[in-house]
Amino acid sequence: MAKILIPTPLRQFTGKQDSVSVPGTTVGEVLTALTAQFPDLRKQIFTDEGKVRSFVNVYLNDEDIRYLSKDATETKEGDTLSLVPSIAGGSIVAAPPEQAALSKEEILRYSRHLIIPEVGIEGQQKLKAAKVLLVGTGGLGAPLGLYLAAVGVGKIGLVDFDIVDYTNLQRQVIHFTSDVGRRKIESASEKMKAINPYVEIVQHEVALSSENALDILKDYDIIVDGTDNFPTRYLVNDACVLLGKPNVYGSIFRFEGQATVFAYEGGPCYRCLYPEPPPPGLVPSCAEGGVLGILPGTIGLIQATETVKLILGIGEPLVGRLLLYDALAMKFRELKLRKNPECPVCGEHPTVTQLIDYHQFCGVPQASAAPPVQETKVNEGEIDVVELKQKIDRGDNFVLIDVREPHEYKICSIPGAKLIPLGEFPQHVGEFDKDADIVIHCRSGMRSAKACAVLRQNGFQHVRNVVGGILAWSDKVDPSVPKY
Amino acid sequence: MIRIESEPWAEMVAHARETYPNECCGAMLGSTDGEQKAVRVAIRLRNAFEGAQAARYELRPEDLLAADKAARERHMDLIGIYHSHPDCDAYFSKTDLQNSCPWYSFVVLSIQKGEFHHANSWLPNVDQTDAAKEELTY
Repeated sequence: MAKILIPTPLRQFTGKQDSVSVPGTTVGEVLTALTAQFPDLRKQIFTDEGKVRSFVNVYLNDEDIRYLSKDATETKEGDTLSLVPSIAGGSIVAAPPEQAALSKEEILRYSRHLIIPEVGIEGQQKLKAAKVLLVGTGGLGAPLGLYLAAVGVGKIGLVDFDIVDYTNLQRQVIHFTSDVGRRKIESASEKMKAINPYVEIVQHEVALSSENALDILKDYDIIVDGTDNFPTRYLVNDACVLLGKPNVYGSIFRFEGQATVFAYEGGPCYRCLYPEPPPPGLVPSCAEGGVLGILPGTIGLIQATETVKLILGIGEPLVGRLLLYDALAMKFRELKLRKNPECPVCGEHPTVTQLIDYHQFCGVPQASAAPPVQETKVNEGEIDVVELKQKIDRGDNFVLIDVREPHEYKICSIPGAKLIPLGEFPQHVGEFDKDADIVIHCRSGMRSAKACAVLRQNGFQHVRNVVGGILAWSDKVDPSVPKY
Repeated sequence: MIRIESEPWAEMVAHARETYPNECCGAMLGSTDGEQKAVRVAIRLRNAFEGAQAARYELRPEDLLAADKAARERHMDLIGIYHSHPDCDAYFSKTDLQNSCPWYSFVVLSIQKGEFHHANSWLPNVDQTDAAKEELTY
């Protein structure tokens, strides 16, 4: 026998009694007996499948039976059972439809959405009322911008301060050949407006930083991360967690990509997955490692799909799941992601409660506008490409080493250079004479600087790094050498 | 329909304004006569959502149980839950609906730029798929 306290609204089903005593030795038996005695109560407490409804918690005296033995929890004479609903909510990502009425033209434009029951007029109005920020208008930002504009996301913010370059065109399909040299943000806005004049595009032509991130992000419902560097990724993540906004994440490398939704409704964040950034230089960017031109299309559109699902509130969001895509095997895999209770930003006792210096955190220097190769100064231990050319022409006795990868060497090379990729370089140190005149180059001068340092540590005296690498060679010595 | 007396109403608005820009939540106690509900006391409850509370709230069942006890002790009933939507209209969002309970009235207060703007009351269905607007006076 146990006493069950009946919540006010349910008393209409129990003949107005505020408590009912029914027989039973376990909680399960008591609830069954209760609903047998008052059949109308059954629908309120159990689903059609006979499970206790998700919003009902059962308390035995002061304890939740989930932490006791659930249905099998024993009940004694004098015990009191309470039915307590679990209640939560929030204003997150939903549209006040009256502000987003659709015009006749818009109804025609979006008609293929309007006839899907899961979208309909209401869903289209949610899209129109939604505010989405795209961080980056590059590989991932290109398909995101084009499709989010096409589907009618009402307000789309763009963050980028870069200029369209020839090397972008192989994948950043929002920028055309005629856009090379233009501001990316302007080129992207123009295409999006051309696709859909009903969307509002907001241009934030800045480098996202700890100083401006919260101020920019706060006006948007959903943030989509299309960046390719760790400082910005951590910055976007932390800002999203602090502001309580979902972070739709994607990343790409050569033939593989990843996507997930971070910081959504108590789900894990980027730091739960990667508490610390990798050592600088370990994970190559697209510029360093290359990327299949189509890959950002695939990953960017997964991000776009998740964004639209969040806005519409339909389907299963990609939360707590990291989607891995392998283009060569043409396979998708999924890893479970858990929220880390110790996470420094979204855990139970956060230590990061405001934005920090992310360049310092990631151990990389502040990104500055790329220094033009021509103006680079030649310091001690360095050699200019023009001087290198003269050296070759004079027939000087010296060793020229190229520390790039074999597939880069196939694109272009400097005559007479010996190829030893940086990764294998330390094993070859013993092959050189310590007094020899050694000159080392790579693509831009970064990797060759590391190789020079290795030799100097090993007691080599006459080692010089080619400033600006083969890119400078193409600019100043031999324009027929292609740049990549 | 649900009518909120001036004293609990002032308390709810004050709570929502003080908690801005975050969401507040609480319980409404009073009496029910058929379809007519009267709120006589508002009790502030803790927003237990772990994470940013600008657009989320969560009630701990223990707190709700305590509110129900308080109601019984005062010979009143727990008849509704209130929460605020900072800088957002007082609609019943998908999140609200999916975490609701059909037993109570859900009053949503819209707080725009820190000031009370408007409010609505909602009655979610048992399957949490829809909520009907309930006539609200205060």
